[in-house]
Amino acid sequence: MCAIQTSGLTKYYSGGKVKALEDFTINVEKGQIFSLLGPNGAGKSTFVKIMLGIVHPTRGNATILDKNIRDYSVHSNIGYLAENHRFPEFLTAKQVLYYYGKMSGVEKEVLDEKIPQLLKTVKLQDWINVKIRKYSKGMLQRLGLAQALINDPEILFLDEPTDGIDPVGRREVRDLLKLLREQGKTIFLNSHLLSEVELVSDQAAILKNGRMIEKGTIEDFISVKQQYQLKLENGQQQINSVCQKLNIPMTSQNGMYTVSIEDDAQLNHLIDQLREQKTNIQAVIPRKITLEDFFIKVLETGEGMGK
Amino acid sequence: MKFLAVVQLTFRESFAKKTFMGFLGISTFICLLFLFALNLDIVDGAQSYISIFGQEADQLIDLQKILLGLEGGVAVLLFTAGIFLSLFATSNLIPSLLRQGSIDLLISKPLSRTQILLGRYLGAISIVGFNIFYLVIFSWLIISIKTTIWNFGFLFAGFAIILTFAILFSLMTLMGIITRSGPFSLMITYLILFISPFLLQRDAIYALLSAKIYGYILDGLYYFLPRTAELGLITQQFVRGIPVTAWSAALTSIIFAIVMLASSSLIFSRKNF
Repeated sequence: MCAIQTSGLTKYYSGGKVKALEDFTINVEKGQIFSLLGPNGAGKSTFVKIMLGIVHPTRGNATILDKNIRDYSVHSNIGYLAENHRFPEFLTAKQVLYYYGKMSGVEKEVLDEKIPQLLKTVKLQDWINVKIRKYSKGMLQRLGLAQALINDPEILFLDEPTDGIDPVGRREVRDLLKLLREQGKTIFLNSHLLSEVELVSDQAAILKNGRMIEKGTIEDFISVKQQYQLKLENGQQQINSVCQKLNIPMTSQNGMYTVSIEDDAQLNHLIDQLREQKTNIQAVIPRKITLEDFFIKVLETGEGMGK
Repeated sequence: MKFLAVVQLTFRESFAKKTFMGFLGISTFICLLFLFALNLDIVDGAQSYISIFGQEADQLIDLQKILLGLEGGVAVLLFTAGIFLSLFATSNLIPSLLRQGSIDLLISKPLSRTQILLGRYLGAISIVGFNIFYLVIFSWLIISIKTTIWNFGFLFAGFAIILTFAILFSLMTLMGIITRSGPFSLMITYLILFISPFLLQRDAIYALLSAKIYGYILDGLYYFLPRTAELGLITQQFVRGIPVTAWSAALTSIIFAIVMLASSSLIFSRKNF
């Protein structure tokens, strides 16, 4: 069963003048972390809001756990951390979780047990009875995360979850997301922080001007096809001569040699030749770029499925 | 239970406002005034000397008159200043519900938009009801014990005051949904509140106008808009224990509130946030 399924989801504003989201189709399997990437105004938040019934789609269909998104009962299985969320400032962290937990349909007895646990998880246990108007942005973000988890949801929609959180806190959030995935939860992530997305996500889609221009696994995005990096021990002369002989383009940087090969057979042939010359090969690594590099390249060139 | 959480949260939010604390303070002051400053020396079971802050009246006064005077005074105070203050204090409840970051979280819960709106509406009614009944019940108890006359009609007057607030707040809800502005919603609601006594005199106004169409317009407004002046009359009739003569005013006003709430729900359900 897919956790999230959409088909041709579209949202226009101002009678079609503003195309916030166009023909967006995805399937997110259960137990995955799926990230939606894109510049500001690309339609990431619009998509999440449509899925949660906050924004009505102009056309298209969507289901969450096989239930139509118009059926608000599915929200019992959803946790949501909104971007720039706002809790009533006169409440304490405990009261926020109590009221929002009750709205999610969680029983009082369960809340009494769960609230201290969750606040401990997000490192707010010492602030449990402090009014949230005294909280920093990072603390409010942690509280938002706890609120999203209060009903033990199957699916989490997190819009910029690490916004305002310091590097140590970000790492803790990342670890928490991984733990939740291990527990079988599906996480839908909107984030500007590509380095984080790269570290936790299984799949991602890139949006530009409301259209999906790329979709795939993070591994697919960051791997550069037919390029390998070789780490050799004193093998500069040997690799130069072998590459010249086999007509393989090669560059070197910081003791690493990057080769562009035609296929696996050519790579194996290159390795055989180097070994024949008694070169000590320490590592053969598929060349990778950062998700940020890929993201910028895709946005600049407009490459991808949407083109 | 989920729905009740919205009501409770709205109640708490309203209670955190200083206006309601002020309201509660004034109510407490009035109750204390009745408790300590008002002294009745009952002479023959039906008549009494009354003294306030030690100043005695010159002659014996009918206990019933004292009771109706005091309870009528509280009812008038609540119907005018009480409703005025309550509308003021709740004017921002709907606009604040619709703020980005707040409404998103509520809609993401397993609640329909109608439930969210109704929860907010009932939350406002419950806080105003709490404030009004705080004064009504305590002043009723004190006055009843002191006069030994138990006028249950005064309690019904409390319901009439809350009903009037609920009718006016339904209009403020619709205005809040449409404009997202507390002050604007408040201005329109005050306008409707104050227009009612004029519409009650529509025959006199119509006599000054030439075209028949004005008569239809005034009649239309009279029957459509909340008839707050007559609701005030109903409140006084409850206090005085005389039969209510203006049930149609309550009925058409309730229909107005239902129309306002249904329209609010419809518009709210179609909005994007």
